[in-house]
Amino acid sequence: MRGKYFSYISLVCASLLMATACTKDGDYEVPKPKNELQNDCIKRSLGPNLVGLNIEFAYAIGIPAAKGKLVSAQVVASIPGVQVKPGDQANSATYLQDSSFYTNGSGVDVPVKVGDRSVTKEGANVVTFTKDTNAVTLRYFYRIPEEARGRTVKFTFTATSSNGETVSYDMGPYTIAKMDMKLNLTPTNNNKCYLSIADLALYNAAEAAANPDKIDLVYLYRNLSVQFGHALVAPAAPKDYLPGVTLPANVNRDTKLSKAWNVQDFHLAGLKYGTTFVDDVDFEKLDMSASPDFALGLKEEGGVWVETSDGKYRAYIFVNKVDNTAQSARISIKRYTLK
Amino acid sequence: MKKYIIITSLLLMTILIWSSCKKDQPIDEDGLLITTRSECYVSNFELLGADFQTVRSKAPVIDTVACTIQQEVFFGTDLKNLWPQFTLVTDAKLDPKITGKVDFSDLANPKKYTVVSGNRQVRKTYTVIITVQK
Repeated sequence: MRGKYFSYISLVCASLLMATACTKDGDYEVPKPKNELQNDCIKRSLGPNLVGLNIEFAYAIGIPAAKGKLVSAQVVASIPGVQVKPGDQANSATYLQDSSFYTNGSGVDVPVKVGDRSVTKEGANVVTFTKDTNAVTLRYFYRIPEEARGRTVKFTFTATSSNGETVSYDMGPYTIAKMDMKLNLTPTNNNKCYLSIADLALYNAAEAAANPDKIDLVYLYRNLSVQFGHALVAPAAPKDYLPGVTLPANVNRDTKLSKAWNVQDFHLAGLKYGTTFVDDVDFEKLDMSASPDFALGLKEEGGVWVETSDGKYRAYIFVNKVDNTAQSARISIKRYTLK
Repeated sequence: MKKYIIITSLLLMTILIWSSCKKDQPIDEDGLLITTRSECYVSNFELLGADFQTVRSKAPVIDTVACTIQQEVFFGTDLKNLWPQFTLVTDAKLDPKITGKVDFSDLANPKKYTVVSGNRQVRKTYTVIITVQK
């Protein structure tokens, strides 16, 4: 009796083992191309979307040669991008590129013109193909307008072919950052040394005296026996940190500062770096309650987090360059409005 | 046959008892190994600013007899947001632990850190005396 059960159990186990061993993975099959007009899209640009900068896409369209050729492609943005105005330079506004690209042996992208320059029709950027083509990848540059600040934007890419087919591809929604950006301000020692975060501008003493409630920081360069060098100091900071500075009347704001390193923001630093971005959320999470009102010994590629005394703005100032001989610096700022 | 069973059982029991008596390595409340080392000192000291760059203007002066660390920092150092780093002798640990930025701005009342030796028997309290470059 017992022996009989054993044989049954063994049989069941063996069958199970064989069943699992024989389970085959699905055989790979070469996908069959769809015999119709198709499209695809990727977003090429990275990082936060800032007003005045581009969001870039690559839009690919293809149709089997036997079915026809491409006639036109267009993009509609939920908030129209900045459009070309008379006198604007080419490529300074929202457009759909009229060229497809291939990469040559030297790694350079070479354009092949396939259509007319894109035109704007009823909020859509349209390219009509002039080349007899059935597969292209067009790039779309959306120049973010002021109206989009803090909002989200969506895109609809559409293509039509000569056989009357139409395809569409939706991208987004993408959030447009609230922050502002100002590049390449050059404060100079004892001259254009008063920095206004509210205006994102530099003033000299006379101008600062005219706008005392806007002056948040003083730039100074001092070559002392102690480490001082290039510094950003709040007007209300102790006089030790403002040696030889006579502040214009009523310039007395107490801005908070916190030095930073390794925050080489891609937008502020230029094309040298590509992985670090200061975004809205960085400003929202910033805690500067225990920060001082001075930052001495600033170095090239370093930075400073800033919070204005009225709590209205937070900013990140990146030091692009310092020049001890000219006693000046080159700085770039991202600013976030809190209130 | 019975004899063999008894002998085998006895052997097994001996092995079991022996293995159960084998002690694990002692571990302290932080999960760190307690060793036999009694050395207890700070071998190096570093002080980083809010930007995680050094604020030391000179090398630290570490007195392992008087248990003091004297450190001069750059003029204009943000003393409220400093990150101290202690290099300790092998197996020693620091009390209190450093978990974030430390406020060293009260220069009249220097911060104190205790080094605990590997065997957890010796404790030496170091005073960190900060001076600002003038």
